[in-house]
Amino acid sequence: MKRRTFLKSSAAAASGSLVAGSLMAGCLETIVEATIDEKQAAQKEEWVPTTCWIGKQDCGILARRVGGRVVKLEGHPANPVNHGTLCPKGIAQIMAMYDTNRVKAPLIRTNEKGVPGEFRRASWEEALTLVAGKVKETRARDPHAVIWQKGRSKAKAFYDDAFAGATGATKLHHGAYCSDAGYRACEYTVGLHGVLHPDFRHCRYLLSWGWNITNAGGNKLCYLTWPRQLVDARERGLKVVAIDPRLRGAGRFADEWLPIKPGTDLALAMALCHQLVKQGTIDQDYLKSFTNAPYLVKDDGTFLRMAGSEMVWDAATGAAVVRAEARDPVLSGEFTVDGQPVRPAFEVFTKHIATYTPEWAETVCGIPAATIAHVAKELGENAMIGNKMLVEGLSLPYRPVAIMAYHMTQQELGFQAVRAMLTVMMLLGAVEAVGGQRVDFSWKPNDNYDKLDQATVKDGPYNIYLKESKFFPINSNNSGIVAKAMLDPAKYGVKSIPEVCILHMTNPLIAYPSRKDIMEAYSKLKFVVAIDPWLSETADYFADVVLPAATMEKYEGPISATDQYVDAVTLRVPPMAPLYESRGDIDIYLDLCEKIGVLLGPDGYLALLNKSLKLKEPYLLPLDKKPEVRAIFDAWAKSQGIEEGVAFFERNGVKVKGPVPASKFYGIAQNPPFDGRIQRLYGESLLRIQQEMKAKGADEIYWRDYTPLPTWRPLTLDASPADYDLYLVSFKLIEFKQSRSAFIPILNELAPDQCLEINPKAASSRGIEDGDEVWVESHNAITGETRKLKVVASYRESIRPDTVGMAHHYGMWVHPRAKGMGASPNELFFTGEGYVTNTADQSFHVKVRVYKA
Amino acid sequence: MPRYGMVIDLDRCTGCRACMAACKVENNTPEGSFWMYVFRFEEGEYPNTRIWFMPRPCMHCDNAPCAKVCPVGARYKREDGIVATDWDRCIGCRYCEVACPYSVNYFNWRDPEENQYVNWKDPELEALSGGVIPPYKNPDLDRPCGPEKRHIAGASHVEGVIEKCTFCVHRVEAGKTTACAANCPEHAIIFGDLDDPASEPSQKLQRKSSFRLLEEAGTHPRVQYVGGTPHGHGWRQIQPAGKRS
Repeated sequence: MKRRTFLKSSAAAASGSLVAGSLMAGCLETIVEATIDEKQAAQKEEWVPTTCWIGKQDCGILARRVGGRVVKLEGHPANPVNHGTLCPKGIAQIMAMYDTNRVKAPLIRTNEKGVPGEFRRASWEEALTLVAGKVKETRARDPHAVIWQKGRSKAKAFYDDAFAGATGATKLHHGAYCSDAGYRACEYTVGLHGVLHPDFRHCRYLLSWGWNITNAGGNKLCYLTWPRQLVDARERGLKVVAIDPRLRGAGRFADEWLPIKPGTDLALAMALCHQLVKQGTIDQDYLKSFTNAPYLVKDDGTFLRMAGSEMVWDAATGAAVVRAEARDPVLSGEFTVDGQPVRPAFEVFTKHIATYTPEWAETVCGIPAATIAHVAKELGENAMIGNKMLVEGLSLPYRPVAIMAYHMTQQELGFQAVRAMLTVMMLLGAVEAVGGQRVDFSWKPNDNYDKLDQATVKDGPYNIYLKESKFFPINSNNSGIVAKAMLDPAKYGVKSIPEVCILHMTNPLIAYPSRKDIMEAYSKLKFVVAIDPWLSETADYFADVVLPAATMEKYEGPISATDQYVDAVTLRVPPMAPLYESRGDIDIYLDLCEKIGVLLGPDGYLALLNKSLKLKEPYLLPLDKKPEVRAIFDAWAKSQGIEEGVAFFERNGVKVKGPVPASKFYGIAQNPPFDGRIQRLYGESLLRIQQEMKAKGADEIYWRDYTPLPTWRPLTLDASPADYDLYLVSFKLIEFKQSRSAFIPILNELAPDQCLEINPKAASSRGIEDGDEVWVESHNAITGETRKLKVVASYRESIRPDTVGMAHHYGMWVHPRAKGMGASPNELFFTGEGYVTNTADQSFHVKVRVYKA
Repeated sequence: MPRYGMVIDLDRCTGCRACMAACKVENNTPEGSFWMYVFRFEEGEYPNTRIWFMPRPCMHCDNAPCAKVCPVGARYKREDGIVATDWDRCIGCRYCEVACPYSVNYFNWRDPEENQYVNWKDPELEALSGGVIPPYKNPDLDRPCGPEKRHIAGASHVEGVIEKCTFCVHRVEAGKTTACAANCPEHAIIFGDLDDPASEPSQKLQRKSSFRLLEEAGTHPRVQYVGGTPHGHGWRQIQPAGKRS
């Protein structure tokens, strides 16, 4: 097969300066032997197992290859996450692979930055040498001056761990725009890495919070896997209560819709807590045994301790004892120990929520008090407190109630809202119980449980994303804040700003708010390299070098293929050679490391790979020579005990390890339950962090949400003037993934135009007809800045009248197919104080006014 | 002889449109041609709003009005239930399009090879396509089908010729299910022999009450819906797919 040869462009043909557009569009040379190849191989049909590259969960694929040409991608039947099916993105990525607008060869910029790019074609040797030289020179001078920014990493061991490790680059992630507030809340509160999803197999009552459930995305898995578990669960009788300003997320699967006012989720969760306590539908045994609810709290908000151990009031002895010795810890009451008044944390909690009544919540959330009360009642009833179920011979608590939440976490009070939601589940004893609340796939205690608890606030200078700073001590690594810090380093106590940026599968100008800040900040970068199959908008404006990565035609992984119930692992295997002159990312990083001089030796890339891939003797990579990518995966597979090595995956695609046993699945099934990790109903360390922030002189806007219990406060955005009378929310679409798919023609056709979802009542009072072009103007309640864009209004009865919605994914201008699809809401959102809160997480809410264009 | 039909379970459809994408790639349909289309509907007034989804392939009617009006016998009903279009015979009169109450016919106004989202006839792109249009062209579509050996599979993409869902006749004759059913992540689309009471779609019909679209038109569709009711008045389509406005 000589596809590689005939698809390869001749470097000799391209010299001189070309604008990006014309270089991308069809500068291929035909090599006649291709046609001959086609004929020779015409009858040969093969099915190559591989994985999806475009989405989040890398579904298993069987690529149908006829005559060396991939003609269709179908789901891999044995892969537990997708069972032989694919989402529209998975199917359509065949067009991404063959896209004639991919970057076809390494590009070097020939014009100034900050304007649409002009590039010349370069050889890999020239481009890599240039990049390596810059990285080498810069890191020798200042290791903090190199940043590596990812939108998604499809091989963490190779990129995040080994490459960033070997080069010492500062890693920037996308999570602060996605769901990191939820991740941090779960890590801190229950010690698991993830956000919220149910044990669908046994769940009976689900609060579907936010828009993910069938619309797009979700905790740990994409849209494709969760909805299948959802519809199966509904056939077994699962009731779904959808809590979102829009109904579209839950679609027809909402038995009840609570159209909540944006950003007020914390208030609703606390009102549910209020009702559960009032109803008495709380799992006292659970709270006493597995949470810090019985810990005695002093008047200063800290726990009463003896020799470092927290104390509880023991009803059996009528005295305060260290927790381990208590026979019957109490949850309520007031006591005096050594002359100081103390109360169990649960007593503090019940006082705290005394005013969070459904009637109060109605005024905040816009959900009728009676509705809140009846949802709380149904939650209490369905939790079946006290019941047990026999699962695989284990008698385990059965609490078939749960919350499903993911992207809704990115709001002003996101971290504390998720803590409040977890509190609801703790009160019901449902965390990690059968049918109950889940966070991770299986019981996997996360380090951040301790790390976040022990987080300290340091004196500057801080790194570029303000880690351990007095601003954002629990930090979700937000590129908007990086932009703010780059633009005003003195304000944030940052000594030096980055000079070199490596963009990996990310397009910050489109993907992250706010475009204005990112645009200004990135213009300060001295050298930008983009590793990407397409010329991203960020690369268009700022890249000095573009290195064309392959799409799915490369080795990449390893990839978990669990659907939470069955464990499996898979790899991406090239179904054909990389098209054009593109190369697999791992190949690119190997060469880059070699040229930078960080590939070999005991601290080099290969040594780090040995560690991050958990390679074992005799398969450890020698540290003195550059390996082939396939050979690395072979060593990995063999280290995993797969004798056949990588060939196993090339033949079968997926290694199904089998069902996850209940003993590994449920935290409550551990011995001791939860491995003895106490869930933090009361966040004592959050109070300590707040005090440290205050002591270092941080303003209230930074420390105000570091409270031991989730606490409602008026939202920043509500301080915008009254004529900004609508809330703008954003959401994602099934048809697209991040900012790397809107230009794929079939997908583009499925969701062709951006629109502003607006309730007809809100529209007609503004004289706006369905289909009218309107201005949407946002207002920053802190700085007073306004921004606006034009978009077409589209009537929806399925959105609150005080809320308008726009999808992400749009707003691109480089790829001819994505041009003119409409704007991105990221142009309207603000970053920085008030809109980046608490854990440095980005809020996707802003007040806007809408008027006819 | 099996008699094929399709059962679509609206209780399981999440409106994701993966079936549309699977159909497009399997059958290499041109831009703007949706042999499978998934409607997303909204009904009622806020906050008493309902959202639901409805995939719509060709109904493969037993009393197919499109076949009756075809002046050249290009549109015909097969014994196995499939309503087929012989693209060698079609003269492009579009009578079938007018006769069909379900709007499932798509006419090729343009040369489909220029309308595969990209103009693959552009000489500059020939290197990539190697003359195969589109480069991911399904080689099975050109084969004549059935005992009648007529050209009725997806390659009906000829300028001036009508096309529509074929129930993936090329797959079905190879013992497979349709591309949309095979790919439905929620298993909402089920295809099979409705004459066999043990087939999966027959079993589904025995368990759940069903309806057909525009039953009153007397078309006797072979596509049946379960898990919902025919839509009433006051529904609106949201998020339509199609060419950019």
